[in-house]
Amino acid sequence: MITGKRRLLLLVMILISIVAYPPSWYPQAFRIQLTKWFGAPSYRSLPDSRQADSVQAEVFCPPDLSGRRKQHQIEGVTISESGLCVADNPYAVAAFVKGTNNVSHNTLMRSGLTLDAIEKGRDLDGDGDPDEIHIRLEVAELNGVSTESNRPVTQYAIAPGVQPGSWVFAPKLQGMARENFESVNARADLRLPSPAIRVEQGDRVKITLENTHYMPHTLHLHGADHRFALSNGQGNDGVPITSELPVLPGEARTYELQPRNAGTTFYHCHVQPHVHVAMGLQGLFIIEENRPNNWLQTMNVGAGFVRASSVAVKESFSREYDLHYTDLDAELGVRIQSSNDPREVTRSMHREYDVTDATVDYFTLNGRSFPYTFRESLVLTSGDENIKLRILNGGSEGIAFHTHGHKFTVTHKDGVLLPAASQTLQDVVWLASAERIDLALSTYNDGLHSYGPGIWPFHDHQRRGVTTDGIGPGGNISAIVYDEFLDENGWPKTQGVSYKPFFTEQYYQKQIPVWQSYAPGLFSDPANDWLMLGRVLVLTLALATISAMLMVNYTGRKKT
Amino acid sequence: MPRISGTCAFAYLILLSSPLSVVFAEDDHTNHRMMFSESGLVMNNNHHTLPWDCAEISAEHQFVVSAGREYARGVPGMVFGMSQHEHKVEPCSRITVTFVNKDEVRHQWMVHGLPAYLYPTGMFHLEAMAGKQVRGTFIVPGDHKTYLVHCDMAQHMEKGMKGQLVVGNGSGNLWSVVGISDSFRRSDYLPGYTLHLIVLFTLVIFIFVFWRLRKT
Repeated sequence: MITGKRRLLLLVMILISIVAYPPSWYPQAFRIQLTKWFGAPSYRSLPDSRQADSVQAEVFCPPDLSGRRKQHQIEGVTISESGLCVADNPYAVAAFVKGTNNVSHNTLMRSGLTLDAIEKGRDLDGDGDPDEIHIRLEVAELNGVSTESNRPVTQYAIAPGVQPGSWVFAPKLQGMARENFESVNARADLRLPSPAIRVEQGDRVKITLENTHYMPHTLHLHGADHRFALSNGQGNDGVPITSELPVLPGEARTYELQPRNAGTTFYHCHVQPHVHVAMGLQGLFIIEENRPNNWLQTMNVGAGFVRASSVAVKESFSREYDLHYTDLDAELGVRIQSSNDPREVTRSMHREYDVTDATVDYFTLNGRSFPYTFRESLVLTSGDENIKLRILNGGSEGIAFHTHGHKFTVTHKDGVLLPAASQTLQDVVWLASAERIDLALSTYNDGLHSYGPGIWPFHDHQRRGVTTDGIGPGGNISAIVYDEFLDENGWPKTQGVSYKPFFTEQYYQKQIPVWQSYAPGLFSDPANDWLMLGRVLVLTLALATISAMLMVNYTGRKKT
Repeated sequence: MPRISGTCAFAYLILLSSPLSVVFAEDDHTNHRMMFSESGLVMNNNHHTLPWDCAEISAEHQFVVSAGREYARGVPGMVFGMSQHEHKVEPCSRITVTFVNKDEVRHQWMVHGLPAYLYPTGMFHLEAMAGKQVRGTFIVPGDHKTYLVHCDMAQHMEKGMKGQLVVGNGSGNLWSVVGISDSFRRSDYLPGYTLHLIVLFTLVIFIFVFWRLRKT
């Protein structure tokens, strides 16, 4: 038995726990009964709204210091003006058009490419453009593990603070992978997605995969006319289970094709494709119709606006955009950041990761999610234009591509022209995984093709596609923007909410209330109820004391 | 003290002294002294200009460094490697490196942290194309320091291509240099049943101690 002072202490503790126990936790029936007896307790104000933390937003549209956006004439190549905030390096565009073997050293240095990145040879059909094309692709890891810190290296953000581990096919670049020695960021041309590649129908194309990565890879030309094997017996389909051994780290292999048909096709790695394609080893592969003097922009780094379109495209369209949609699984990407030992990484990615249990988290258009898509993947128009969009769904599941303010025509599916009767106007089109469509977008204001000038979003209409790990707005949202709604820096003159929260890491880390910027207080996070916390702690203290006393008493009684 | 006698003269010197057919170019943005050819790239080559703290060249060193996957053979957990991961030289030495790439992909041999007044961005950089070799020369300053040497292609340093250049007594080893220093982010490499072992051990020891205490 508990006796004396101990009994008194026990009684006090029981009393404290009864008083400290929050009345809002009482059983509902008991509370109602209490109300019947005593009426409702007096008014207590709810906690105030929490003050917004001051967070530093990124610059929406970084200044174009080197004048990349304006029209350029380099090496005799006309590089059209890019109205977008962030534009491609015009020197790289010129080198892609002429071939890195055919440009001046100054252009080559400024392009950032190696001498053999894109070699263009003879004009075989005598129509004024080169038909021997040798493309070199490397494989780079973005947001990979660092041996010296817990932060990833060769960093690439798809949205503020969102840096999933990824792999890309990359153009053959000269020099460092980073911006400079002090930086951990990847250089601007080393990015997601893998570059869109353009060749001409009938070209003799060689693509050398130089495997600069620490894992085996191949190149598979999905939907592009290519032989299964080369004349020397070397597999040419890039499929390890049927065609050839993978290209090991430090090794290279040349794939060849001479495509007989034009069309928008796809290329990707075919080694453990359920993981390697998902990591980012995928890109648009476009075969342009044969035309005289058809100098093609062999690579479109980061996809998006094509600054030097083909002759055939220019015949019917005023602008052309490559739109590469994909999705990324954070739980997959993090695996390359968790160990520096390729054996452990291989085990983690190819045996422990189970794609059948996986869910994707990030949805990108041309390697970025909103709001970064607004920097470089807007579709711009002056109105009354025909614009060509080539769309690839490289993601794991379908997308429901939807345009606000416009109805478009799907002209090609998987690179094949649709019969005229099938070319109807629509504002949502479904793209299965790996599917490509060519789409004609008219900005003629007739209430059908276009509803007139504005900032008209386009996006995957499936709900998760417009989020970044469940936070909206994010994902693959971009917009069709008419000239009068674009400022001189290429940023859209939006008239809704402030973009400041979207340009912070904290927003996508789920730390900022979504409507805080324009309804402060109303929908902010409530502050904590410290009185309630005090009550709960006192209750815990009392209950702990009671249980300890009872336990001591129980064991003590057993001993004696 | 020798001084740069104009960029053109410098370029001419390099053209004369280099066995490779090279082209000299000025990068408009960063003003790196850069030479490139089909074999690769040499950046911030420096045969003659002495660092401020050197009265003369103290020693001449010639290194041939080979790189590629074969040099990671026998090094667990590494994919790329170099024939030599550490070089020791005297302060104010002149170092000529011939970088031989044995792989079918690009590789680099870069030194970082050199004085920026002599080597823009503090860097001496060799880049060799597949199966090719490039050669470059630089002069190290007079202080005792350990410089990072690496390949700056994505993940090549992490997967084995990291070395160090120790000038004089150096300033301590860098982390994660194969054959020289430990890996900063070494995994635990524990068997999968480690947690079971820990639980079992804890139980056994607990029971043993409990039993001993009860006896006394």
